[in-house]
Amino acid sequence: MSSSSQIKRIERIEQGIQGLVKKLFVKDPSESEEDEDDRKSNAVDFVKQILESRSRGPAVVADANQASDLIKKRLIQTNSSPEKALRFTNLYSRLLSIPAIKEKWAVLYFLYQIGDNHSQSPPILTSPFKSPVKAHRESKSMSYVPSKSPDYASKRPEKPFKEAFAPEGIQKLPAREGGQRDRKEEEQMFAKPPAVQREDVALKAALLAENYVEINPSEATLLRELPFTLQGLSSTNLKFSDDGRTLTLPPTLPVPIVSMFHTLAEPALLYKELSSFVQTAEGGLLGQSLRAAISNELRLYLGLVATLEGQIRRALASLNENEPRGGLGKTGVTLRRCVIWTRDSTAGLRLMSLISEESKSKKGGQLISLIHSFSVCHGDPMVGAFAERLLAHVTRPFYDMLRQWIYDGELSDPHFEFFVSEQDPNAVVEAPDGKSRGGASSVWEDKYKLNEDLVPSIITQDFAQKVFLIGKSLNFIRHGCGDSEWVEEYSKDASKELRYGDTATLEDWIDQAYKTTMTRLIHLMSEKFHLFEHLKALKNYILLGQGDFIALLMESLASNLDRPAGAQYRHTLTAQLEHAIRHSNAQYDSPEVLRRLDARMLQLSHGDIGWDCFTLEYKIDAPVDVVVTEWGNRQYLKVFNFLWRIKRVEFALATTWRKCMTGARGILTGGDKDVDQAWKSTRGVLAEMIHFIGQLQYYILFEVIESSWDELETAVHKEGCTLDDLIGAHTKYLNAITHKGLLGAKKSRNSENSDNTFMVQLGDILIHMLNYRDAVDGLYGWSVADFTVRQGMDFSVRAERREDEDGVLIPTPKTARRGPANLADSTPALDSEAIPDEFPVLLERLQLLGASFKKMVCVLLGDLAYQPDVDMRFLGVVMNFNDVYQPTRRKVRVPTTGRGEQGRSSAKP
Amino acid sequence: MPPQDKEIMAQAKQVIEVFHEISSLLNADLDKQTLSICISLIENGVNPEALATVIKELKKDAEETKQHVEQQQNLGRRDSQAEGRR
Repeated sequence: MSSSSQIKRIERIEQGIQGLVKKLFVKDPSESEEDEDDRKSNAVDFVKQILESRSRGPAVVADANQASDLIKKRLIQTNSSPEKALRFTNLYSRLLSIPAIKEKWAVLYFLYQIGDNHSQSPPILTSPFKSPVKAHRESKSMSYVPSKSPDYASKRPEKPFKEAFAPEGIQKLPAREGGQRDRKEEEQMFAKPPAVQREDVALKAALLAENYVEINPSEATLLRELPFTLQGLSSTNLKFSDDGRTLTLPPTLPVPIVSMFHTLAEPALLYKELSSFVQTAEGGLLGQSLRAAISNELRLYLGLVATLEGQIRRALASLNENEPRGGLGKTGVTLRRCVIWTRDSTAGLRLMSLISEESKSKKGGQLISLIHSFSVCHGDPMVGAFAERLLAHVTRPFYDMLRQWIYDGELSDPHFEFFVSEQDPNAVVEAPDGKSRGGASSVWEDKYKLNEDLVPSIITQDFAQKVFLIGKSLNFIRHGCGDSEWVEEYSKDASKELRYGDTATLEDWIDQAYKTTMTRLIHLMSEKFHLFEHLKALKNYILLGQGDFIALLMESLASNLDRPAGAQYRHTLTAQLEHAIRHSNAQYDSPEVLRRLDARMLQLSHGDIGWDCFTLEYKIDAPVDVVVTEWGNRQYLKVFNFLWRIKRVEFALATTWRKCMTGARGILTGGDKDVDQAWKSTRGVLAEMIHFIGQLQYYILFEVIESSWDELETAVHKEGCTLDDLIGAHTKYLNAITHKGLLGAKKSRNSENSDNTFMVQLGDILIHMLNYRDAVDGLYGWSVADFTVRQGMDFSVRAERREDEDGVLIPTPKTARRGPANLADSTPALDSEAIPDEFPVLLERLQLLGASFKKMVCVLLGDLAYQPDVDMRFLGVVMNFNDVYQPTRRKVRVPTTGRGEQGRSSAKP
Repeated sequence: MPPQDKEIMAQAKQVIEVFHEISSLLNADLDKQTLSICISLIENGVNPEALATVIKELKKDAEETKQHVEQQQNLGRRDSQAEGRR
């Protein structure tokens, strides 16, 4: 608005005031004219002042309807007939139809205010200009003289009540609802109540006083006793029952007061209950910290009660016996007010009582989760804030534990509240998983356990896992790796105070701690404990990666191991091992590794020969056995034994093959046609077997072990690799080897039948090969004997007289341990009829073994062809690259036009 | 006077009539003149509550003054009577 209209407006108001004063001014003839003028201007000033002082903002909501409602209500109340109210309604609707006036509600309200001038005796304002001596300033401090009419209240009982609920009354209430109220604020409210408020209180007191009914015991008495009640103490009129669960009210109290006391008794009873809860010593650290936090809150509550008591005392001291209700209303301290003041605290107490109830069945992290759920999920922001505050105190011991755990790797949790718990070593042994571990592996795997129930909701599961790992690693570094100095240094450097609040920083810190610890652990593992060297050594020696060493070992041990297992002696074995190491490239390996290599015999069973029992061992000790666990060791041994058997068969076949080859150039020549044919087919089968063994070895060593090793290497050298990753990668490596190396894989069809594992199949094939070899040796022996006989016959034909020297000249084959060779050897003079008898038996045996070998290979290939694993299928393909075999499965899919078995031997390398 | 103003005047009159009637219903004891002054004041943004207080005050004051005056008059009359007796 422009300033000119503003000025005009002020002018108009001025005029109005002047007119008003003139209109209502009554001349006093006795006064002098000056006095009169003086009085007039005085009045004008007063009017202006009042108007100005209240010009800002309407006290009530600007609503014409509300004003009309108020008027209507009054009209109905004051008049028995509704006639006037009806008329007013008519007038009001007429008024609404006239657009000329803007502030309809204001005028109505004005009329309403002025209207009951006669019917009601409002608080009388002392007029400042009644006595001109008084300064105008004092006009504001109005005092009220309540109506003295005794029958007034009984006549119109609802009116003051309604008055109290008028919008004005509600409007003027200090805006304190909602949100957390401080005790300070409370004090402030007591200390300097704004003038408006005081007026308001006074007004309401006056109104209430009009409707006052004397109660027994009086309100003053009750007020005096109230602070005691609020502290849970019995007083004359308000007694707690013995069990402290009920509050007995005097029977004389009227119902409204009783209901107020119901509200007031709640905090009192809750306080009593909570204070007894705080006294209890149960619960762990978190439980105690919860108690401490609650007792803190209770102290605040007591502070409030103390303030309240102070107010009540002051109010009671200023009581005036002459006024109704003892003038209590004026002091601003009433029971109802007390109800209002204690309301927020009651809510807090209620929440704490709930928490204390719930906490009895919870512990540790669950407790935190409980309170956290209040602070996060509760709809009431006040409850949320309260729980948040409580949480800051309650979580303190939790964060202390967390700190100790992630910076020192120590678990200081006397009450088992932390989400990591130390396991009883005895319990671990009895764990039902069957594989008991010893040494360091249990320090890593079993010493500590993550208890998911106790992970508080302020921490995510991921995070808990990380925390768990950090502490575990630190603990492991300290105890397993004996590097406590580093841990101490680290905890000194990195230790930070953790507190509930900014989760982001906390996560940062924990991430950092995680990284540091993991790096350190990996570093220790690789540098101090040579983990990777050990892994490599395992691959070289146990998995037969070091070919020259294994070949040498086998050669030197072969004669030894042919003997029964009972005749094997450890010292000879170790001596041979030493020899093998010394003469192979293994000698350049580090002594740390070689020291751990050992040869020993497995447990003997009856009838075993040395080959079955011999094993090479690589000793792993703490803390590396965290990675290469006992289970891993067993897997290694299994693989070794399998490979060793293959190697042995290969070795045996090679020896026989060599013999045959040398023999073919000498003693095996010149026999009859049948024998030549027999040798030819035998060589064919032998070559087949060698091919089979070669492919199998190639597959296991290169396709399986080397590729898995490659994967292991990449996994281990990845950035941010943790010990758990390492363990996982190694386990995966072993699993791959045992699975793909045909050791663990089962035929998918009838996997329940353990006879059908590849391991068993291969074992059968290998045994067949050995038997075949024996048979070949037998054939060789027979051939040699035959040769001898033939030579002998030549000799006898040529020089009969020198027959006694024959036996000496003939070279006796020593490789043929048993069989006809020795027999023939021992009985050189035996007639030649016995020897041809031997040949068909041998031939039959060879053919039988050869045929069943082929059958078994076909079955194996058939099984391999349907393996889900690509590598294993590949093995089948490699073995049968020229489709010689017809893989037999229940349904033979491709009936290959098999070539003759005769042509096979030429195809073999 | 333009017809518009006339209309406004008529409306104002009507308003005052209505309000006067309401005030009489409420026993407000205001004559039309006072009422129109009050309405114009309120229209100009005066707080109605304050105005009500003011009116009450002024009325009370007027009452008191009147009483005072009457007393004085009574006294004066008595005085004059007494003088007359003498």
